[in-house]
Amino acid sequence: MIRTLFYVLGGVLLGGIIHIAIILLLPDFANRDAWTSLGRFGPDGAFHRLPMSEPGTEPLPYLDPQMAYAACRFSLDGGPIRIKAAMPEDFWSIAVFNRRGSNVYSLNDRSAERADIDLVIATPVQMAQLRENPIAALDQSIVIEVPVTRGFALIRSFVADPTLVGRAEALLGAADCSAELPSADAPPAVDPGDEKR
Amino acid sequence: MRLLINIAIAIAVALIVGFGSAALVLDRERLFGAVTRGAWTAWPDTGSPDADPYTEAMLARTGEVPLGAGEGLAFSADADSAGARLRGECSYRVTGQTPPARLWTLTVYDADGHLMDNPANRTAFHSREVLRHEDGSFTVAVSRSAQPGNWLPVTTPDAIRLILRLYDTPLAGGSRIGAVVMPAIEKVGCP
Repeated sequence: MIRTLFYVLGGVLLGGIIHIAIILLLPDFANRDAWTSLGRFGPDGAFHRLPMSEPGTEPLPYLDPQMAYAACRFSLDGGPIRIKAAMPEDFWSIAVFNRRGSNVYSLNDRSAERADIDLVIATPVQMAQLRENPIAALDQSIVIEVPVTRGFALIRSFVADPTLVGRAEALLGAADCSAELPSADAPPAVDPGDEKR
Repeated sequence: MRLLINIAIAIAVALIVGFGSAALVLDRERLFGAVTRGAWTAWPDTGSPDADPYTEAMLARTGEVPLGAGEGLAFSADADSAGARLRGECSYRVTGQTPPARLWTLTVYDADGHLMDNPANRTAFHSREVLRHEDGSFTVAVSRSAQPGNWLPVTTPDAIRLILRLYDTPLAGGSRIGAVVMPAIEKVGCP
């Protein structure tokens, strides 16, 4: 009897390990997560406008219906990416998520201190290369370092009034997720080949 | 034989405990990092790289995209200020002030987290269109029947959820959420 009790106890411990494994691995195997859902809207590497959140046509759960959205799934395997977008005067924000859907970076129009988006996303290694060979053309860009190679960026743009939807959608539709990234300024001692797109 | 039975028991216990507890935890509201003020609850860590594994798993399961700390903070309410579950068949008044934010929106969802189609074509109010009292406070009526003033229509008799999203607020972004004043959710009546 005592022996069976020990096996039950071992089972509980093993159950704890299974619990931890499920929680940690679930984001990698989920099939309804944000990354997968956003894949429905078009190919990676470009912004896709999400339909406005209205009853019955919500592109993702719990999105604010007062915002217009555009999302881009990106990969940093081929080098840093540059996001450029002209934005309306009103509130907007952009957030960068990793493949698992966790936020790694976010900013809004006020903290960006500019009216448009010019954001360069790089991995720590690419960031080190950018620091060694600064690119003058990126002086005005916001360059961020994220610990991810794949992820997605989501732009939110406030729509105060239904009449402004068209303008917000036009601007979001023109958002560029793979804007030109100039190579390092001459003379680069070692051409950082993987900084070119 | 005895050994085999014992191993089978151990494996069964492990599977039931492991999967059962994981499902139980993920079906409930998030456990960690909740900040409750009045009827409202926010999870400020959800939009930061420090989100705990349970939050990550929950987000992956639902497909939600949280507000980043640099964007804002979302407070949700499933119960009124007296602690009773919010139900669509009842009428409520959301009244008072919001914490400082450049912009806020108040949205109502049904039990499944969907917006509700209604003839008034309204699923949310934002801070610039809401009608205010002289002291700057506001009252939004949440009910199935049309109300004068700010009316947020509900079409389900079942559970509803209110979400107040504060955009560009000093509350997001790591600083401690102190004694902020949130709007009260008062029950006006139930059939």
